[in-house]
Amino acid sequence: MAEQTSLQERPSAHRRRPAPRPSRGPNDIYVNTKTDFRAQLSRCRRLLESGSQKELRVHGLGLAIGRAINLALQLQLAMPETLLSASTSTVELTDDLEAEGGEDAEAGTRNRNNSAIHIRVYRPHEE
Amino acid sequence: MENLHRVRIVVEDEGKALPFKDLHPHVAQMRVKEGSKIRNLVRYALTYMESEGTVQIIFGAYGQAVTKAITCAEILKRQVGGLHQITKIQYQTLQEVWEQRGPVIKSPASCLTVYKNCPSIYILLSKYPLDPQEDGYQPPQNLPTGETGKRTFESHGSTDSKRQKTNASNEGYQEEEAEEVEEPLDCSTVSWT
Repeated sequence: MAEQTSLQERPSAHRRRPAPRPSRGPNDIYVNTKTDFRAQLSRCRRLLESGSQKELRVHGLGLAIGRAINLALQLQLAMPETLLSASTSTVELTDDLEAEGGEDAEAGTRNRNNSAIHIRVYRPHEE
Repeated sequence: MENLHRVRIVVEDEGKALPFKDLHPHVAQMRVKEGSKIRNLVRYALTYMESEGTVQIIFGAYGQAVTKAITCAEILKRQVGGLHQITKIQYQTLQEVWEQRGPVIKSPASCLTVYKNCPSIYILLSKYPLDPQEDGYQPPQNLPTGETGKRTFESHGSTDSKRQKTNASNEGYQEEEAEEVEEPLDCSTVSWT
């Protein structure tokens, strides 16, 4: 909802579709650049410390990669027994192109790639 | 603070060993910086990896350049193919020296040393198999050029199905948490804590 209104306010040559999210379990943490860092960190700590989650998966895309790494490292600092296992991937994003001039103009799509990181934060001895 | 300017940045762990075991003695290390051009990095890395006798290459970056390093590694994996990967993340300590500036400088120019912890990444790409038990290991994905994004996405989907199975028991909690993550929060706090 919020994404749609913000896009309408700002007319541009293309609109970015939201990135695909394969799964959203309770242990999938998607890091963006807008969420408050401390709030997200304490939320992750609570999830890990309560024991309800054995492992967390921290995902970061594009500009949020640095924040995702920071989040995982801060978690490890707070809980030194946890281990980190990072992997990288490429995510295909779709932009909707809007021809300038009128609403009746043809609109196409364009694909581009962006880098992503996925960090598994887990305790070693617990299975 | 207004009268101070940054003189230099020293990377503390520069001389320290890389966070990888069993490194090939002749390994190329690419230090990706904020201003590095992906085109130049990939061009060098491609010619290096395609030449005879080369086995491994490392992309290292800290701070704002981590995204660039990952992008380079991803492009290289796509172009060369069959590369084993180990990704390591850690903090890198930066030492910043600030010096006083202005018309009147006291005889011993007062310096201010600031230590910063910056998130950094090291990506090892190898033609030969690496230890699969190592944290951050990724096996080579044999992708045809052009369809890479889609295929990677699919392979992620398959691992995710495993993940969803384990989460099925606490589904009520799942919804609640998903909403919470979505909520846009104030971003006033600095991210480099």
